[in-house]
Amino acid sequence: MTKLTQKQLIEQIEMLKGIKPRKEWATLLKSQILPEQQLQATITAQKVSFLGILSSVFAPKKLVYSLAVILFLVIGVFGFASQTMPGDLLFPVRKITEQSQAALTGHTGLKQSVATLNNRINDLAQVAKAGRTDSIPSAISEISADASALVKDLQNNTGPGGYPNKQTIKDIVVSLKTLADVPGTDLTANQDVKNLYQTVVQSQIADLQEATLTDEQKATLSEVEELYNQAKYVEALEKILLINN
Amino acid sequence: MDNLQEQFSNIYDQYIDKIYRFVYLKVNSQEIAEDITSRVFTRGWEAFQGSQEDIKNPGAFLYQIARNAVVDHYRSKGRTNVVSVESSPEIADPNIGIHEKAILSADISNLKNAIQKLKQEYQDVIIWHYLDDMPTASIAELLGKPAGTVRVMLHRGIKDLKDIIQES
Repeated sequence: MTKLTQKQLIEQIEMLKGIKPRKEWATLLKSQILPEQQLQATITAQKVSFLGILSSVFAPKKLVYSLAVILFLVIGVFGFASQTMPGDLLFPVRKITEQSQAALTGHTGLKQSVATLNNRINDLAQVAKAGRTDSIPSAISEISADASALVKDLQNNTGPGGYPNKQTIKDIVVSLKTLADVPGTDLTANQDVKNLYQTVVQSQIADLQEATLTDEQKATLSEVEELYNQAKYVEALEKILLINN
Repeated sequence: MDNLQEQFSNIYDQYIDKIYRFVYLKVNSQEIAEDITSRVFTRGWEAFQGSQEDIKNPGAFLYQIARNAVVDHYRSKGRTNVVSVESSPEIADPNIGIHEKAILSADISNLKNAIQKLKQEYQDVIIWHYLDDMPTASIAELLGKPAGTVRVMLHRGIKDLKDIIQES
């Protein structure tokens, strides 16, 4: 067996420079640690490219042609906006459209907050599925913001027992389950999402304490309460889903 | 706060690959490396927010967190990663995935296993000097040791590594 020289060994060691983390994991981690920074970076990059397009439109050209281009842009904006995802430049237009539609159909307040969160979770699922890793941090930021707003809305909209409406909680549970199933993302450490889990679990525990349960269900409820006390809200909700099924 | 985030964002971009590689070469799997690296940067960000003025060398600071995190990882698993050259148990990795197999050829895999059998301080200096291109003076500052000591550690580390590889 040929002896390995020091030079050969060092060359082999230097080949280990090729070891790098997965790009999507690194991007996701950064978005979890610095959510606002990632969102700002994405918006700035998109603003720069859009301004570039605008300045070429307004370069010295015939006025009629310029007006036609502007008209096309305006008509196209709302059409394209409906297909945008968090982080896209026209995404705020889509959000405004969603809010307007909600107002027209009478879905306001808490119901609208739940629907908005659900839309954002679906957006995250779509961008994760499409491999749009650049959009994931923005989608996560949107979910974080909506989760925070929803927690506040829930606290302001409690029923006679001091807890939010049961159907609303059920809708949120479905949304959180969808969020947990999005592959390649884990928002359970996100504080806003954690607060939402806490609110939901607290409400569900209160419901179950008043319900008629089998011995097995009662035992599971005790485990749920223990998990809640340990601030393990995600695990608590998973057990609650077992009781409710 | 925005300025702090921007600064740490730059630090993150500069060190994420290095810290991940540093950790990966010391543990058994990509999953564990990602988990530990996440904790390193999370703790790093928390410390950065609290005492930004005191962190003169962010890289050294992150490496220190990473070293401690790896030690904690092995302590929690009930074993230490400091092994002598003589007793060199095989560090099995039953969970090595297809992704890792695609990246690592047999030689590189053997080399990675051999590095894990070195004393921790030898692992550190070899990774920092040959993979992160850190000069011995910077390593010396990071470890709080004289540069001459670091050169000796590098020399002994390479020698031990060669012995481990040739024994296997």
